[in-house]
Amino acid sequence: MSSILPIVIAVAAVFFVIYRLRRQSGAQGPRPRAGRGGLLVAPPGAGQPALRLLPLPGDTGLVAAREFRVRARGRVFRIGTLLVLVIVSAAIVVPALLGHKPTIQRVGVAGPLSAPVRAAVIADGPGIGVTVTLVPEPSGQAATADLRAGHIDLAVLDGSRVVTDKPAAASDTSPTAQLTRSVARTVGTGEALQAANLTAAQAAVITGARPLPLASLQPGGPGTTQRNTSYVGLLLLFFMLTQYNAWTLTGVLEEKSSRIAEVLLAALPPARLLAGKVIGIGLTAFLQAGLAVAVAVGEVRATHSDVLNGLTPLTVAATLTWLVLGYAFYAWVYAAAGSTADRQEQAQSLLIPLGLPVIFGFFVAATAALSGNPSALVHVLAYLPPTAPFAMPVLVSLGAASWWQFALSAAISVACTFGVARAAIAVYRASILRTGSRVSLRELMAR
Amino acid sequence: MSRLELDGLTRRYGPVTALNQLSFSVAAGQVTGFLGPNGAGKTTAMRAVFGLTALDAGAVRWNGRLVTLADRRRFGYLPEERGLYPGMLAAEQLEYLGRLHGLSPVAAASAAAGWLERLGIAARARSKVESLSLGNQQRVQLASALVHNPDLLVLDEPLSGLDPEGIDAVGEVLASQARAGKCVLFSSHQLDLVEDLCESVVIIDRGELVAQGTVEDLATRGEPRLVVRVAGDRDGAWARGLAGVRVSENDGGALRLVLSPPADPQSVLRAAFAAGPVTEFAVRRRRLSEVFREAVAHGGGQRQAVTAQAGVHQ
Repeated sequence: MSSILPIVIAVAAVFFVIYRLRRQSGAQGPRPRAGRGGLLVAPPGAGQPALRLLPLPGDTGLVAAREFRVRARGRVFRIGTLLVLVIVSAAIVVPALLGHKPTIQRVGVAGPLSAPVRAAVIADGPGIGVTVTLVPEPSGQAATADLRAGHIDLAVLDGSRVVTDKPAAASDTSPTAQLTRSVARTVGTGEALQAANLTAAQAAVITGARPLPLASLQPGGPGTTQRNTSYVGLLLLFFMLTQYNAWTLTGVLEEKSSRIAEVLLAALPPARLLAGKVIGIGLTAFLQAGLAVAVAVGEVRATHSDVLNGLTPLTVAATLTWLVLGYAFYAWVYAAAGSTADRQEQAQSLLIPLGLPVIFGFFVAATAALSGNPSALVHVLAYLPPTAPFAMPVLVSLGAASWWQFALSAAISVACTFGVARAAIAVYRASILRTGSRVSLRELMAR
Repeated sequence: MSRLELDGLTRRYGPVTALNQLSFSVAAGQVTGFLGPNGAGKTTAMRAVFGLTALDAGAVRWNGRLVTLADRRRFGYLPEERGLYPGMLAAEQLEYLGRLHGLSPVAAASAAAGWLERLGIAARARSKVESLSLGNQQRVQLASALVHNPDLLVLDEPLSGLDPEGIDAVGEVLASQARAGKCVLFSSHQLDLVEDLCESVVIIDRGELVAQGTVEDLATRGEPRLVVRVAGDRDGAWARGLAGVRVSENDGGALRLVLSPPADPQSVLRAAFAAGPVTEFAVRRRRLSEVFREAVAHGGGQRQAVTAQAGVHQ
């Protein structure tokens, strides 16, 4: 159950994001004269705070500040933030609830059972991670009845039989099944030792025997908590990148289809308008990410969950670094794509193909995060800017990347982002004021 | 005196020539109308002023220097395709555009409030643009071109979609801007309105200049016009067949006649007397719509730009 859950969450996340994108691209009124309707309409009477532009320098700063203010107070942002917080909370709280182990196992004892064997049964508990309590039962029938009623987890009858109310499958790894197998072995051995007429002290030594600790020549893998942490970080990255990249696309498209771009570009160069938009939406994303991280840390503290025990400052830094790098890389691509479309309806046909590398990177990295054993593919993807935002943080949280690998990957991403930004500005410049026909690739290449 | 000069602007879209060596200038202190049939290149020329069109040749100058970004911040632009952020409040939108044009936060806020007040939509300052009526959206759009107190106003079809009240408001704004020493250039199809609003006009056709001058100059040049009414002849049969006389309109028997040699007013008056009692006789100036039609017709035939100084007809 607990191993399927993250995959269920991942699939649900992907479907949810696709659903949101469909709604976003379909529901916005394309032109101011189209009147009411669309996602941007606030409930009547909602008080709007005055726009006080942030004290950022230059017109890029003005554009970014407008973008940030308008987005951050919008309904889409508020609902989206709520959903991200719900999902992060679910990822932390649900596994903690489902994984809550019954720490006390009640073992019914009917008939005689010698003191050394009783002690050995109790000593079986810690190895499995449970505390064993012995419950005296007047008879075999009473023990069976208690088993059926769930008052006890297993019963030892007359020192000769171990009974459980579960199917006795060797593959069952639940604490009760493990304890049942262990108790059966312990009681059998203990009774045999008794029969061999050993002294109590000798019997105690032998029944107290435990398997030696195992050491492997293979390096130790990451623990469950590290895997959970990197998975939660991945979910955050996936949501943020999908949501905010889509915003840059629809935001550019909104400016184009509402024709405000022409008014704006009369006063500032295309590169600054585009950069301001990318930065403004990016700031909104980091506000949301910051909230999500803060809530996650708070919840972990509050619930004493061990899900995010791997939440080291290094992991947080790696996740947030790649949120910045990943957003910076993709935002230009999405913004340029948005400038080539004319109408909001066309956003849909652009968002899905652009989302494929994001979904691919997320799934490959999620697989690595869940298995705790990154494949060679993940190591390769960690250096490719489109997938590095997912692969590299996972490698970091699993302790599978050294600082220079991280730095190299980040440097590649930054260098590629500059190239992508230049190309995106060229596409944007050629497309933003052009309506009617889509700008063909050949025309773009000719510039 | 500020001056906008368009110098030899040429713009080709594949086989189509949108602008062909288009040159004219716009002087400060008067309202200049920019006329031309659909597809003449008016919008392309106006966009070129703001660097929104890549030119194949030519240059736009402001006070004799090539236009820079800093200059453009001091220009106001109302594009043909109106554009505002649908979800932004009207006042907020104007403040934002004012700040993009270099105003301080305080100056932008007070200019936005001032223009909304002046255009009669102060009550809607806190409304989202998309919730405004089309006419009020137009007013906000006009305010967005004016909010930073520009030195040059370029308005592409500012009158389209406006009711008579709105047209009066725009006309009043344009005139006051011109009186304040600004350069004002606006395009329109509504020629009779343009005649009342502007002091000078520029007429282009197929990307080329075909006429330029003050309305006064252009109206008094060209063939003479007469309005003649002969009692009892509602169809104007008397004027048919007169050499050099063309009937351009018939308003219930009052004929508007365009005279060309050998006809002159005296010969026409004699012909009218011969036909019956003359109840109306007047010499009229050319209307701007006539200037426009004749200029476009001439330009179309000869592909040669002329100015009022050289005479519209050739």
